[in-house]
Amino acid sequence: MFDSLMQTAFMQDVVILAKPALFNLYFALVSIPVGFPLAILFAVGKGSGNKLISIFSRGFIYAFRGSPLFIQFFMFYSIMLALNKPLWKPLGVDDFILHPLFLGPLVLVLNTCAYSAEIFYGALKSTPKGEVEAAQAMGMSPFNVFRKVTWPNMLRLAWPAYTNEMVFLFHATAIVYFTLPVINEQKDLMNKAGELFEKDYNLFLHFTVAGLYFLTISMVLFWLAGLVQKRLNRHITGAKPLSFRLFPRSRSSQ
Amino acid sequence: MLESLITWVNAWLGEDVGAKLAYITNGKHLLWYASVRFTLIAAFGSAAFAVFFGLIGAALKQATFTPFRWIGNFYTTIVRGVPDLLFILFFPLAFEQTVEYFIARVKCGADVVAAATTWPPCPEAQWLLSTGDYLFMACLSLGIVYGAFAANVIHGAMQAVSKGQLEAASAYGFSRRQVFWQFKVRQMWVYALPGLSNVWILLIKATSFLSLLQIADIVTWAGRLGGANYFPRMGLIHPDWRWKYYLVLFIFFILLTMISERFFEVLQTRASRGMSLAGVKSDV
Repeated sequence: MFDSLMQTAFMQDVVILAKPALFNLYFALVSIPVGFPLAILFAVGKGSGNKLISIFSRGFIYAFRGSPLFIQFFMFYSIMLALNKPLWKPLGVDDFILHPLFLGPLVLVLNTCAYSAEIFYGALKSTPKGEVEAAQAMGMSPFNVFRKVTWPNMLRLAWPAYTNEMVFLFHATAIVYFTLPVINEQKDLMNKAGELFEKDYNLFLHFTVAGLYFLTISMVLFWLAGLVQKRLNRHITGAKPLSFRLFPRSRSSQ
Repeated sequence: MLESLITWVNAWLGEDVGAKLAYITNGKHLLWYASVRFTLIAAFGSAAFAVFFGLIGAALKQATFTPFRWIGNFYTTIVRGVPDLLFILFFPLAFEQTVEYFIARVKCGADVVAAATTWPPCPEAQWLLSTGDYLFMACLSLGIVYGAFAANVIHGAMQAVSKGQLEAASAYGFSRRQVFWQFKVRQMWVYALPGLSNVWILLIKATSFLSLLQIADIVTWAGRLGGANYFPRMGLIHPDWRWKYYLVLFIFFILLTMISERFFEVLQTRASRGMSLAGVKSDV
């Protein structure tokens, strides 16, 4: 019974595409933890009183949110290639820098950093003023005010939108190998699905399985983020659970 | 005329600048600039489809007949759970294969189709698409994907339309359908504008995928023009300049976003004239 199930074309595709799915997961799981603290820095930078820092942060966020990720990948890869002769080769780091497993997360980090910074900036602006003033009146240092009041409020307010951003970042990993070189069998879901399609032209099967992988992992991400959301809101009675819905500043891959 | 223009430019800006201007206005570069049309056609075409699918999706999401509601929610959920790139590659190929299947049924015979191991089953069933066909497919698939986003926006905007208006309409004896299309849909646009503006900006960025559908768009041309240019007789004309071309595209898309934002701001102010929108959640 089990054997005959595994013999179906569908299950065979599920098995073949398991390893490529790990590549998509790798890109997302490396980029999210690195992008998160950077995004907070840029969010604070955008709201900073220092003109120079504020303008720089604003420019960075606008540029990376206003252009397609597809172009960002091409641009960074070609810039890195151009720097190969004068910089990476003499330093002996060319293999590392030009490797898709490094360059992919690098561009994804910059991209998610800009989108998340915008989300966190919005949350920072909506932090209750009264709470901040109360903390200042208690004589807390600015760092303590941030750590005890601004930070938890920001995280709580930004979390639903940030969840969407994480899922969209995961979807954006589908672009990586359309722009960067594919090395040997290091292929992601889209790549492998495309390869299987070119063999037997069974479009509906291969793309459905790849799509199901994306859908399932997205659902798991939503579920995990929902657990965090519950924890962030544990002091609020009757807090609404996170729902699967479109956010205004959401994005797709590109 | 053109000759004197060249000598005049050379005299005014120097030979160096003149040569650079000549380079960036040569035939291939002009083709690159002209290929912006594909991006713009795809953007406007898919925006039209997206609004169409968005309206249908929103209507389905609030239908009274439960299976319709399921279809509406299934549409918006699936599209949001799967990368847009997958759909953009999938729909044109799926459409092509479906058409080829019916051609094959007629031209090759059902038994050949059943026994076939490759695609298309027989050479006569091959359907070769032109750039225009691919462009239409790209518009359609981008429209389906971003239609799901638009459906969410429009659905939210419809909830924002004041109930009193709709009740007044039905009290005047308008049918349910008339109340929906002539009152709800007509009034929701102003609430939907901010959300639709975001969808439009997402859509513009997604037009960069055209090169994956065999269309020689700005991205394709940037790669072609930037690649190292070497002729055996003339030597290396220029090394790998792709980063310069991609940088131009990077800035081009930022400008496009900027212009769109300004345009929607103006539209929003115009559309909300005489409306009291205070307290309305426009960020659907």
